[in-house]
Amino acid sequence: MEHITTPKVENVKLLDRYTNRKAANGTLYLTATHLIYVDASSEVRKETWILHHHIASVEKLPLTTAGCPLLIHCKNFHVAHFVIGQERDCHEVYTSLLKLSQPVKPEELYAFSYNPKMSKDNREIGWKLIDLKVDYQRMGIPNDYWEITDVNKDYEVCNTYPPEIVVPRAANKATVIGSSRFRSRGRIPVLSYLYKENNAAICRCSQPLSGFSARCLEDEQMLQAIREANPGCAFMYVVDTRPKLNAMANRAAGKGYENEDNYDNIRFKFIGIENIHVMRNSLQKLLEVCETKSPSMSDFLTGLENSGWLRHIKAVMDAGVFLAKAVKDENASVLVHCSDGWDRTAQVCSLASLLLDPFYRTFKGFMLVTQDLTMFCFSLSRCGHLDGDPKEVSPVFTQFIECVWQLMQQFPCTFEFNERFLLEIHDHVYSCQFGNFLGTCHKEREDLKIFEKTHSLWPFLLQKKQELRNPLYKGFTAYKELQPNTLPFSFQFWCGMYNRFDKGMHPKQCVLDHLLSCMSQKMKLEDNKLRSVHDWSRKDAIRLFSVVVRGCKCPFSSSKIDFKKKKNFLALNESLHGPSPCGRTDSFFVSYAYLLNKNNKKNSVPFYGDHFNV
Amino acid sequence: MFSLKPPKPTFKSYLLPLPQSEDHITAEPRIKKLEPILLPGEIVVNEVNFVRKCIATDTSQYDLWGKLVCTNFKISFITDDPMPLQKFHYKNLLLGEHDVPLTCIEQIVTVNDTKRKQKVLGPNQKLKFNPTELIIYCKDFRIVRFRFDEAGPESAKKVCLAIAHYSQPTDLQLLFAFEYVGEIYHNPAKKVNGVDPGGGGGGSIGSASGQQTPLFETYSDWDREIKRTGASEWRVCSVNEGYMISTCLPEYFVVPSSLADQDLKLYSYSFIGRRMPVWSWNHPNGSALVRMANIKDVLQQRKIDQRICNAITRSHPLRSDVFKSDLDKCLPSIQEIQAAHIKLKQLCVNEPFEETEEKWLSSLENTHWLEYIRSFLKHSAELVYMMECKHVSVVLQEEEGRDLSCLAASLIQVMLDPYFRTIVGFQSLIQKEWVMAGYQFLDRCNHLKRSDKESPLFLMFLDCVWQLLEQYPAAFEFSEMYLTILYDSARISLFGTFLFNCPHQRVKESTEFAISKNIQLGDEKGLRFPCVWDWSLQFTSRDRLLFHNPLYIGKSAPCVQNGAVKTFKRSKKNYSSTLRGVPPALKNGIISDQEFLPRRNSLILKLKPDFLQQTESQSNSMEQYFRDWFTKPVDLHGVILPHISGTQIKLWKLCYFRWVPEAQINHGGFITAFHKVSLLADEVDMLNRNLRQYKSNSSLQGNCSELDHSRMYFRANGLNDTTGAPDFLSSSFPFSPVGNLCRRSILGTPLSKFLSGAKIWLSTETLANED
Repeated sequence: MEHITTPKVENVKLLDRYTNRKAANGTLYLTATHLIYVDASSEVRKETWILHHHIASVEKLPLTTAGCPLLIHCKNFHVAHFVIGQERDCHEVYTSLLKLSQPVKPEELYAFSYNPKMSKDNREIGWKLIDLKVDYQRMGIPNDYWEITDVNKDYEVCNTYPPEIVVPRAANKATVIGSSRFRSRGRIPVLSYLYKENNAAICRCSQPLSGFSARCLEDEQMLQAIREANPGCAFMYVVDTRPKLNAMANRAAGKGYENEDNYDNIRFKFIGIENIHVMRNSLQKLLEVCETKSPSMSDFLTGLENSGWLRHIKAVMDAGVFLAKAVKDENASVLVHCSDGWDRTAQVCSLASLLLDPFYRTFKGFMLVTQDLTMFCFSLSRCGHLDGDPKEVSPVFTQFIECVWQLMQQFPCTFEFNERFLLEIHDHVYSCQFGNFLGTCHKEREDLKIFEKTHSLWPFLLQKKQELRNPLYKGFTAYKELQPNTLPFSFQFWCGMYNRFDKGMHPKQCVLDHLLSCMSQKMKLEDNKLRSVHDWSRKDAIRLFSVVVRGCKCPFSSSKIDFKKKKNFLALNESLHGPSPCGRTDSFFVSYAYLLNKNNKKNSVPFYGDHFNV
Repeated sequence: MFSLKPPKPTFKSYLLPLPQSEDHITAEPRIKKLEPILLPGEIVVNEVNFVRKCIATDTSQYDLWGKLVCTNFKISFITDDPMPLQKFHYKNLLLGEHDVPLTCIEQIVTVNDTKRKQKVLGPNQKLKFNPTELIIYCKDFRIVRFRFDEAGPESAKKVCLAIAHYSQPTDLQLLFAFEYVGEIYHNPAKKVNGVDPGGGGGGSIGSASGQQTPLFETYSDWDREIKRTGASEWRVCSVNEGYMISTCLPEYFVVPSSLADQDLKLYSYSFIGRRMPVWSWNHPNGSALVRMANIKDVLQQRKIDQRICNAITRSHPLRSDVFKSDLDKCLPSIQEIQAAHIKLKQLCVNEPFEETEEKWLSSLENTHWLEYIRSFLKHSAELVYMMECKHVSVVLQEEEGRDLSCLAASLIQVMLDPYFRTIVGFQSLIQKEWVMAGYQFLDRCNHLKRSDKESPLFLMFLDCVWQLLEQYPAAFEFSEMYLTILYDSARISLFGTFLFNCPHQRVKESTEFAISKNIQLGDEKGLRFPCVWDWSLQFTSRDRLLFHNPLYIGKSAPCVQNGAVKTFKRSKKNYSSTLRGVPPALKNGIISDQEFLPRRNSLILKLKPDFLQQTESQSNSMEQYFRDWFTKPVDLHGVILPHISGTQIKLWKLCYFRWVPEAQINHGGFITAFHKVSLLADEVDMLNRNLRQYKSNSSLQGNCSELDHSRMYFRANGLNDTTGAPDFLSSSFPFSPVGNLCRRSILGTPLSKFLSGAKIWLSTETLANED
């Protein structure tokens, strides 16, 4: 790569932010995609990999006696503090990283060079794995009131919408097109989620070009059609997720919000979620708190409050809860917008459907929700993939993911996946390794040939399903709608996200790993059970069973049992007792894994039996 | 002067069902007759009919009609109406659904809407208006509200005055426990819930485990503890038998073997309250944990200090130095803790719901509660380091040695000794370090409501333990429900455990009482009160299952390490593996304002050079220890250390928010995970039982009884049970906030302002004068 002038620098120190431990000494490598640091001072080879796309900022700090410090902040909240011996080396690494971390052209993104050696067919299947149309089917669409239209097939109505959108049957093409002219960027009201039980719908759009007095008949018809698509309720909500002041300011620019007098039977409501700039600054402050070395109680609480971060999370959650309640309790359809309808609107609609529908709390469902975010609303510039205006970068997606995590805290048994699944997705939104999150809209993705040239994240994650699942999940039918508590004290600081790379704050070994390996072990055992051997006498089985369950010394000579397998088992067992737990939910897994492991023993007899007969 | 002598009982007290039917206690006749259930010795002092108990804050549609009764034990609201909105009620056998024990009452406010008057009722006060409303503020953060719109104004007033009077008794002997025990001694047939009150034993919580909690009232309990911890150089001393030396120490305690009784007697005069150094616990490496009061005699101070420390050193197998920690200097004072508690109460009851909700975090910070929790955890962890890693004995020094040191001593032991993380062990710890050590429960809990010495140290201890439980859920046999209920039990004036300032006070007061009541004590030292560890007095055996933590990995559990199966066992060898060689050069180590006492004849002055450097190296090595500890896998049956970064200390929501309806998460909260794991644990138990059956070749039948004995409150219906959580689960489970908190007045009286805005918990004086 032309940007790399110094591919390898030796004698580089990596400082640990949280402890006074002696800095690691090692070698730093620059590759086309990663910065790799190999710690030479420790006995075990320790590597730190940082993807160039994950780098949010690189800073060269003033020269010290030890060398030239280089501070790297990543988008996944990793902070790496290197000290490079030679000033010249440091500068070269610095300039290389600046260019590598912010490619100018989309083609330079990792996704276009990432090659997992997958066949073309498999890649195509991967892209088809998550299909919004299938989800529409699940919601019962098309039905008497809603239809999937291809009115946008050439992106004539709205170039940031996908070609297929769901609109009320009652809205004809003229209405749709008329309405699109009255909406900012042509983003007309389209369906986001249909609550099958009462036909109440969540729809989204952008702000109307109403200014101080403008009206649009087609837009009014459009809203009427949406309202009438839900015969069970005489009114509908129109929710503007912006603070009222912001919305009013927009009127001066010929935009604004719906006038209740012009639309029949709408109830208009503001929900004050702040704009991307406020959110970006808030996150910055939050990260400063996270970087405080061993904060006192007071530092932490005051810092957390002053960042306002949890307040913003609460605002998004409040909005989601409002939507869900309107749909569930009042049987009312809701139309949501903010300014362009792709930040706050996206967060809120997705969150509301997650609250309403247990399907979205499964792996596949959550992938759909995330995909939906990218289809309709999610702007590439928010993630800062490419060199661009830093003012357009905002943690919209981080906030959405955190809202889901907050829900997980309140309802630990309702999600099929665990915290790590969220972190994986969050990582890959910024990694640009997969095509899913590239481009601002469907059209741009087609232009970039993303579906032909890159891979989809979802099959990749599904492969790792075992380690991403929530062992406490009670199943699809156990919970329907969620009613989270949104009082301020219900929102917690997410250590696992913002302090994720600070080893001092977490158990060194992740408990989740062990639990999950335990579960996959169980599955393997269940497979083996099918192949269980017939001449395995019951008595022997029970003897072995008791060995495993009680953990007492094995009565069989070890030569008869495959050593490697046995070792695995023991290692597993050891690790279960091992890790030092951090949070309650996390450490919860230790004992849970322990129990599960015990539980698995019922299946483990044939597993051993196989070898016994060898 | 008020006397407890009843004005002729109007209600016949009757026995609760016999022990066999303990689990079928629901068939009570009281509902029909609107009569209170009374315990032996309990009498009705006043009552009023047609009272409305307020249930919801925004509507009166759920209000209950019934009778409000004040007895000498509790206030009881008796109604025919079922509780609305509530799906679950965790039943305390001593108390009805709407009852509040008198000792749980914090403040009584009477209100007259029409006259726009309110008054905080103290004892023996007059009330110049007829109350239309009575609001009871409870010590457990509940607020209960009654309205008297349809009740006779005079009787309403009388009940309010009676409650005020009886809940604020002038004398310890007027607390209900005395009346109860007196009655039992006269009529031994009357046993509450079939259990012999004060049977002496510590009771057991599960029907399966017959283990008793050692009370440390006897020589043998201490002796056993010495043997259990392997403290061979320590001995039980009987010098305080009959409380001849100190009235605030137990009769038996443990001292260095090298100190003779004569010396102890002599030294004791120099200590405040004659509380000489007493042993608490021994680390398997030989380091001891010792508590002592300050030496008041300045002239003798140096000499006595030296001798005591020498004796402690001599009791250490390595003759290590003694590390002294002056708790008064490094921990918050009891006054600060009380102030924090008051602010916390205000925050949890009022403020989350006010418009200032954006300020939640800074309000929480402003209480300092979490900060204090953190400082206790931090300091205890540092002392753990001294014992565990530096192999030195630790002396906790405090003015009187009976407040902060109770907390610090017990926390250190919870961290170091897995036995104290079991239920019986934890209870014995409370007996040893709180009840017997003379923690002034009477004053600190303020049972008589006259004390300016109130301070919630015991709660703070439970909260610290909760933080550890939160961080290491698999290390504790008990659940957070257990801790919460234990906290509640300190405010039921039936149990002798939490009633007195010290064991001597129990003996003295109850002997006086016995004489005045013509009770023959025989050989007994004072009356025996029911013991809180007799959990069957309060809960059915099924309900007691909630005390068990399904995540606990018990001692019997096998642990495979390095390929070898190892059972958890407290063996000396196990612990002292770190003990090879001489302890690190400790004599130079000095931590901030604390001091190391050098061995005999060495001069402190000699240590002064290098002071700064040494301090630094000391704290570095401590930091190193913590860092190393946290990078290693934790042994749940070994030492556990708390994470003390600001992000890791949390608010104990179950305890502080359980009565706040708005704080509930319906169908959610930690309890849902608890439920799920309970089912799994139950499945595992079931598997084990099946296995045992196969092994013993016994048939499937005939073992039903064993199958009924589940450890878990939530039971699996079968293997791989996939049913969802029960509908009644909410984050406040097993407590129900319904009807417990009525902040705003339905009628829009001035009360709404009064309740939400006024700092009622703080300034009673101003209100009291508004009459």
